[in-house]
Amino acid sequence: MRAAPALALVMLAALLLVPVDDAPHQTFKQQPLPKIAPAPEFSLTSQDGGQVTLADFRGKVVAVTFIYTLCTTTCPVLTPMMSFVQDQLGSNFGTKIAFVSITVDPERDTPQVLKEYAQAFDANLAGWAFLTGTPDAIRDVTRRYGVFASKTANGDVDHTFLTSIVDPRGILRVQYVGVRFDPDELRRDLLSLLQEP
Amino acid sequence: MQSRQSRRRLLATLSSAAGVSLIGSPNVFAQQAPPETSRIRLSKSAAICVAPQYVAEDLLRAEGFTDVEYVLRPPAALAEALGRGEVDLAMHFSPPCIVAIDAGQPLTIVAGVHVGCFELFAHEGIRSIRDLKGRKVGVQGWGQAPHEFLTSMAAYVGLDPTKDIDWVLSPTVSPMELFAEHKIDAFLGTPPEPQALRARKIGHVIVNSSLDRPWSQHFCCMLTGNRDFVRKNPVATKRVLRAIIKAADLCVSDPTGVARRMLDGGFTASYDYTLQMLNEVPYNKWREYDPEDTIRFYSLRLREAGMIKSTPNKIIADAADWRFLNELKRELKS
Repeated sequence: MRAAPALALVMLAALLLVPVDDAPHQTFKQQPLPKIAPAPEFSLTSQDGGQVTLADFRGKVVAVTFIYTLCTTTCPVLTPMMSFVQDQLGSNFGTKIAFVSITVDPERDTPQVLKEYAQAFDANLAGWAFLTGTPDAIRDVTRRYGVFASKTANGDVDHTFLTSIVDPRGILRVQYVGVRFDPDELRRDLLSLLQEP
Repeated sequence: MQSRQSRRRLLATLSSAAGVSLIGSPNVFAQQAPPETSRIRLSKSAAICVAPQYVAEDLLRAEGFTDVEYVLRPPAALAEALGRGEVDLAMHFSPPCIVAIDAGQPLTIVAGVHVGCFELFAHEGIRSIRDLKGRKVGVQGWGQAPHEFLTSMAAYVGLDPTKDIDWVLSPTVSPMELFAEHKIDAFLGTPPEPQALRARKIGHVIVNSSLDRPWSQHFCCMLTGNRDFVRKNPVATKRVLRAIIKAADLCVSDPTGVARRMLDGGFTASYDYTLQMLNEVPYNKWREYDPEDTIRFYSLRLREAGMIKSTPNKIIADAADWRFLNELKRELKS
């Protein structure tokens, strides 16, 4: 895991250098984000050992992601990308916008492990919660957010990458599939929800 | 086209679905509404390019389908199986879908999923599609996907597919084996055939639909459903499409995991060929490309070759429904 931040920086740099073609999204640029459904609630354990629910974030825009700390493939791209967006959000981060990263490997990702992971990626814990829980609780929340996660024989976790944006009223507004999305588009979407009446 | 009557029926169905208007969602097929059916039947065959379909099972279960069934049907029989309602939804090659729709099969195409399934292999002395004039080209059956793709390709470059190509019909021995034995000059391979031929260093590729225009600009496999199923189960249809799209992303982000799952699930016999295929086929074009362009393109080619009578507009009007895709384009970014 210690090598992850260095690897992540290289991968993120490569990702950010790839020209992002956002033309397909332009059609919808002027439209408000759709209102998909009430976001699935959860009650999980944070990196500090406290209970955290989605309702705790009411009034803030929340980005919910699914990761695991020993992931060596694409999580090391997603988390630094979120960290990059965190920095771009300035004073809005923590006060009006929050991130939640839920582990899909609860057996190994204890609160302490998540705390170290957060520190390794310069996560500002004032606005970013790293959550774990019982395997059943994690299975339930991944299923309800539409994330597939399956442990392999060697202990890795195959999982889909899905970043869900929840508005201040707790409504799921959009989901980003994969890790090759435009971080600036994510930032714009998050900020756009702060402008809504 | 989805008639006004069917749209009314659709809205009536939805109005009875709980929760649609709870949050004033503008969406027609609200995500929180459960699928109208807990059972979904997809297809299974030797074609491995439909990988997203094969690894979507857990995602489908997360979407509320408790009974996920893979019905064994070869690609040649898939359009009919869809039309008869033996399979509810499946990823299928675009030309056979168009030919089946023209022939009156009750199908609805809901989205394009990926491009780049096929590669045209040839022996020495053949460098382009035009060079196929007078050459022996193998197919396993008339009206099957390779024949329809090849017909479209020949028509596109100005050949008369009926007269200019010496078709070799081989129902029992695969064209790939005939090609390996130099009994034919060319054939169209779909995964895992191209990967196997490359490993055996046989022939060369004159068209790679992942890379070569215009083929690389159009969907190869499209999610297609039984018309009645789609009409009666709009929420389920949207949920299936969402699961397939997420699974397609999994093919991009975790090809090794997908190859392993396909091997474990009995969807492929070769991990290596499957992994190669996953790294070669672009599974990230579902949002970028317009599926209507694909239908227009192949309908025109097939019409030029005399394989269908309908105009592209009629095919689209009769059998395309992009509402699910359009909603998901707004709800799922990538």
